[in-house]
Amino acid sequence: MAKFLEFQGKEWLRKSGLPVPQGRVASTPEEAKKIAEEIGKAVAVKGQVQAGGRGKAGIVKLVSTPDEAEAAAAEILAKSIGGNPIKQVLVEEKLDIKKEYYCSFVINGAREARSPMLMFSAEGGMDIESVPEELLFKINIDPINGLQSYDAVDLCARAGIPAQDLSKFASFLSKLSQTYKKLDCQTLEINPFVMTGSGNLVCADCKMEIDNSSVGRHPEFGIKIARDLPGAPTELDLIGWSIEETDARGTGFLMNMGYDEVSPGYIGYHPIGGGSAMMGLDALNQVGLKPANYADTSGNPVGSKIYRVAKCVLSQPNIDGYLLGGFMMANQEQWHHANAIVKVLREILPTSKPGLPCVLLLCGNREDESLEILREGLADLMTPDGPGKRIEIYGKEYVTDTKFIGQRLLALSKEYRAEKESQGK
Amino acid sequence: MLEFAEKSLTVKIDTSKCDTCETKACAEACKKFARGLLGIDDKGRASVAHRDTEEVLRLGTECLACELACKTKGNNAITIEVPVKGLDEYLAKRQ
Repeated sequence: MAKFLEFQGKEWLRKSGLPVPQGRVASTPEEAKKIAEEIGKAVAVKGQVQAGGRGKAGIVKLVSTPDEAEAAAAEILAKSIGGNPIKQVLVEEKLDIKKEYYCSFVINGAREARSPMLMFSAEGGMDIESVPEELLFKINIDPINGLQSYDAVDLCARAGIPAQDLSKFASFLSKLSQTYKKLDCQTLEINPFVMTGSGNLVCADCKMEIDNSSVGRHPEFGIKIARDLPGAPTELDLIGWSIEETDARGTGFLMNMGYDEVSPGYIGYHPIGGGSAMMGLDALNQVGLKPANYADTSGNPVGSKIYRVAKCVLSQPNIDGYLLGGFMMANQEQWHHANAIVKVLREILPTSKPGLPCVLLLCGNREDESLEILREGLADLMTPDGPGKRIEIYGKEYVTDTKFIGQRLLALSKEYRAEKESQGK
Repeated sequence: MLEFAEKSLTVKIDTSKCDTCETKACAEACKKFARGLLGIDDKGRASVAHRDTEEVLRLGTECLACELACKTKGNNAITIEVPVKGLDEYLAKRQ
């Protein structure tokens, strides 16, 4: 899912006619001070990062003056959460809170539902998992007609909302439901939305996640990558996305795994399919190697797509090896992988990575022909002194033998590193 | 020189090399791994002249097989250029 930061989500709520606090985002303490001056009253300074529990992490601060806002912003902008530096803070008016509520719109994938679902509680503002189940009220929403007012009224009445406020709450939730549908959200959580001292309902927080499949319909979002990434996309992530963006012929997934491009023990990782990827990680973990990236070329992708993924995986600097991890008897015709891998290795090994360990495990449909393509296509590189001297090719005999594959990769990568060090590289 | 585009790549064939090729492995590979887009013309050269542009785009599955077949069994006449958006810039920054 493509996730919006709080300030981005709130901006879309504002554009959809929902009440949000007055405020703007700042990238520097000075900007934060200026915004606080414009607001002209006490403000909240909130670190913008994809993480829950921001209050506990000390990146949400309530302050009374612009100078305090500047100091709070400086403190928050110096922090990182889960390895992600905080680059922006949202400075917004401090609300006069009478009571906090919780609501979220999610997809209910249960067989009997398969529709959006609204969850509502009068116990908002805290971690929703800590709210007792009996205080969390749920209703499935018709995906075509949206949340009906009478259903919203019923839900709120069950949750204990006083009769005189039912219409206000129903209207608020219906508007959120329409926004959820209009923006193609997968998740829209407002925790909390608050009733102010003057009796208005306001979205005090916003967690908005967009359905990846819908991003093409929403150029206005400016989403670069419709993927669930832990932080800002890296160059490799952007290249990986470009492979998939307009090409739906099978999967050609590629993303960075936090590799710093210099540390030893990282492998260019090219699994085929999700389960296979987990087994490949077992193979690496068992011998202390790490994946530089994540990839996936399953779903019967065309050769050019496999080539692009493999080329990017192999182009990462200072990797100690390459693992084509086909830990499964795949239904897809594996000879497309064989043709693509031969082309990539013939381009990369002789020119930029001679001697790189390459363990190629390819099993399943058309396996014999595929292994023959690999062997024949790489034969002239796989001589004792050739650039492909550390290529090893395996088939179904090793399809579940993660230990063996890991050990082969480790042995070859040790040899490769020693050779590079002896050459002063 | 024969050059034609598929959806996301370009195939270049030095057809002068086809004259001495005895296997015509490219066309065989094209039939085996894809949809037989590539044919052999009356002069014994690799060709897509019997297809119109729409057919070339529709039948081309970008399997890359003809290039390797020609390299290992033919006269090394085929080059397939598969651009990877952003990769050159990525590599240039790391040299």
